[in-house]
Amino acid sequence: MITATLKAYCASVNHVVAFIGQSVSYVMPMLAFVVAFEVFARYFLNKPTVWAYDLSLFMAGYIAALGGAYAQQKKAHINVDILYIAVSANSKRVFNLLSSSLAIFFMVVVILICTEKFNEAVEFNYRRFSEWSPPMHHFWMMLIVAASLMILQFSSDMLEDLYHLITGRNLIERAEETDADGN
Amino acid sequence: MEIEVLTGILLLCILVSFALGAPVGLALGGIAMAVGYSTWGEGIFNIVPSTFESTLFSFVLLAIPLYIYMGQLLTRSGIGDAMFNASQLIIGRVRGSLAISVVGVCSMIGAMVGIIGAGIMTSGSIALKPMLQRGYDKRLALGVIMAGGGLGILIPPSVPMIMFAATTQNSVGRMFMAALVPAVVTIFMLVAYIVVSCKLNPERAPLGTGQEATMTQKEKMRTLRDGLFSVLLIFAVLGSIISGMATPTESGAIGVVGAVLLAFFFKRFRFGMFRAAGMETAMLVSVAMWIIMGATLFSNFHLLMGVQDMVAGFTEDLGLPPLGVIIVLQLIMLLLGFIIDEFIIVLMCAPLFTPIVVELGYDPIWFGILMILNIEIAVQTPPYGFALFYLKGIAPPGVTMLDIYKSVTPFVLIKLSVLILCMLFPEAVMWLPNKVMG
Amino acid sequence: AAEHNWRFANLYTRGTAFGEVYGNLAKNIEEMSGGRIKVKMMYAGEGVDTRGILGAVKSGLITMGATFQPMNAGEMPAGIVEVGLPGGTADVGKLSVLFHEKGFDKVLSDAYGSQGLVWLDPYIQPPVYLLTKKPINSVEDFKGLKLRAPGAYGKFVRNLGASPVSLTWSEIYTGLATGVIDGSIGSNLIDHRDGNHVEVAKYMYRLPLAGAQVLPVFVNQKAWNKLPKDLKAIVKAATAVHAREQMTKSRLWESEAIADMESKGMKWSPVPSDADKAVWSKAGESLWDEYASQDKYSKQLIEILKKQ
Ligand code: NA
Ligand code: NA
Repeated sequence: MITATLKAYCASVNHVVAFIGQSVSYVMPMLAFVVAFEVFARYFLNKPTVWAYDLSLFMAGYIAALGGAYAQQKKAHINVDILYIAVSANSKRVFNLLSSSLAIFFMVVVILICTEKFNEAVEFNYRRFSEWSPPMHHFWMMLIVAASLMILQFSSDMLEDLYHLITGRNLIERAEETDADGN
Repeated sequence: MEIEVLTGILLLCILVSFALGAPVGLALGGIAMAVGYSTWGEGIFNIVPSTFESTLFSFVLLAIPLYIYMGQLLTRSGIGDAMFNASQLIIGRVRGSLAISVVGVCSMIGAMVGIIGAGIMTSGSIALKPMLQRGYDKRLALGVIMAGGGLGILIPPSVPMIMFAATTQNSVGRMFMAALVPAVVTIFMLVAYIVVSCKLNPERAPLGTGQEATMTQKEKMRTLRDGLFSVLLIFAVLGSIISGMATPTESGAIGVVGAVLLAFFFKRFRFGMFRAAGMETAMLVSVAMWIIMGATLFSNFHLLMGVQDMVAGFTEDLGLPPLGVIIVLQLIMLLLGFIIDEFIIVLMCAPLFTPIVVELGYDPIWFGILMILNIEIAVQTPPYGFALFYLKGIAPPGVTMLDIYKSVTPFVLIKLSVLILCMLFPEAVMWLPNKVMG
Repeated sequence: AAEHNWRFANLYTRGTAFGEVYGNLAKNIEEMSGGRIKVKMMYAGEGVDTRGILGAVKSGLITMGATFQPMNAGEMPAGIVEVGLPGGTADVGKLSVLFHEKGFDKVLSDAYGSQGLVWLDPYIQPPVYLLTKKPINSVEDFKGLKLRAPGAYGKFVRNLGASPVSLTWSEIYTGLATGVIDGSIGSNLIDHRDGNHVEVAKYMYRLPLAGAQVLPVFVNQKAWNKLPKDLKAIVKAATAVHAREQMTKSRLWESEAIADMESKGMKWSPVPSDADKAVWSKAGESLWDEYASQDKYSKQLIEILKKQ
């Protein structure tokens, strides 16, 4: 019963994080298009836009922040694995629990402080300082979402590690990892 | 708490978290917040919004996603590999020739980008796989990418050079000119190292193991054609910068459009490839930006606590001969590279150190070039260096941090010898700007 | 130990002339308070990005801040009017009356107060000028030019027929050199000198885009409330001394910067005709109503301006 609940929790977290992480990658071609369009508008039409600069920065920010949890799921975040690869599987799990706690603490700070910033941005109608002046509140909300996803992913990873440390069995059986290419 | 003690505690925390294998960016951010909370209180958390906002809204950093995306599209459509296959058809009989071609491509990328991250991750996207596929020694391949990608800030345009010139009121043009001789010397020494090292250890660079060994005549023509076009694309991107069509950051997007068009033109465009390139880029961008965000948070906290005053304190009354002072200043920069990034080193050290150097009778431009060379070394010196992290991000799964640490040694020595040459022979740096700009 | 530990962030880098003036303010506060307030000076890039200073002082991370308000147009719209709208006066005497007698000070105290900040004395700095690659012989020449001019200045140059371009500061030099842009404004003449832009664009236009610029110095409200009356008076007095220092020195530095740039080949575009001057002022004044409609404090400030 407990095992099933844990499994369901981890599976749904992994699912949501993967969905958002993959969705946000579709912003990448749009980002390149927006920047290229600005070059075109300025150089060939002699009519630079007022929006491309801020819009491209927002897009890049969304890709970078929201992709963080998915990168954790794929174990793509960079670590210094010198001692790490030399220790036993169970020591690795203990190491993971420690470093995940630090990361979760960091993300809790991000959520708390960005919530304040979000409320302030709504109250005073904060905008970018450019002529286009798009609103800022969604950026802080996005960071709250990004940090929450990160916490969900770390909590799911921690559960798997803890489960294995306690029971000696894997919570979720995994096939060999494949990359986006399928190779 | 004294800043010296705090710095010691922060360093210790970095080493512990690195040993545990924690994600670098998240660990740095977490350490800054935890140590900050215990010394300052919850007020320190307010450092997060301004740091995240300034990092994510930095237009210069936008070069990272755009150039990586161009690199990924070139690689995954096969056009990038064609460039190296073609070079192998032509000069494949020379041992190590692929690594030499990679140095050439890295130099061209260095002439497009102005920041380290974009240089290394773009060069890595395009050039790492072809070398590993042909059985090149892992360390040689990684080291070449690291050294070549680092040229991004030594070959103009260079953001740290512009920042140095502005904070010390020197000529950007002279700075760019002064960097050319050291850049050419670096490239020459890299090539010389590859040739000698492959001669001594032939197994580091196997011959005749690439696809070109079994190609039909028709395939060879096609490879040469694709290779030529991908080189032309790189020249077109460079041209868009030089002609004033786009800024160095924006030209990354031109490269993306060009890569997509080339893929269509050669009927290599597949939606799956396009999707995978976007996915991989998004992942790499996220990984790089979370490192930058965490590291900036860390250095911002350290700066708010007054590390700059500690550095200023070191440099008072050194009581050394002039060259001794220069050496100590550089050691400080190398040590700072242990904990802070390229831009902050310039912003902090340029205004602190340059007046001292000028007082001693040296040319500030010369010192600026030494600073850039020091930064280049600092960011690729273990254990903490952005270049190391970027390279790990772009490397295939089997590559460990230890591989990367080991791979850099000879290349750091090369850069160190360029640095020493420039230090001992200021004429080598100042000759070109003096000749061209009077 | 000090009774109050403050951090003061300003927008200039360490070692620059203006940075030093702010450094002197920090020292003055320490000295005049007999060490009861200790002020740690943070220069540009040291812990807080220059664009983040306003937010950092609001939150209390930084106690005291000095910024260039066009960077914060989206958070404090009145700051745009405060710094000086295109077409505003450059007369220091008039500005002083405007701020201290006509009511700018009250409106700005309210505007900053509404966001948890205490607004101190205004600092008058030299005006904004435009540097171009080709000489501007008449205002007609602005048509079709691509100029790096953010925010209010962008709207101003658009009124002249030019196209404002968004470019980050570190790309201005290369942008001018390669021709991505035909010209750029700097936050003042000294800024143009520091950026070495004269190497790649030689012509300075004679008319400033706005009159003298007014830069605020502000303090976090909670930190301010902790000060006893006498220390509040001391901080205010130190700020006033500093405002004068800033004004006299900036004149001197501006002329030094001009001499510097002229020695590197800077040239002035020809003196504009009266008709050109009229077009120029009109391009600025048409923005006033637009800004007045966007924010209640801006509206109050512009009403005061119009009454003059
Ligand atoms: Na470069
Ligand atoms: Na390092």
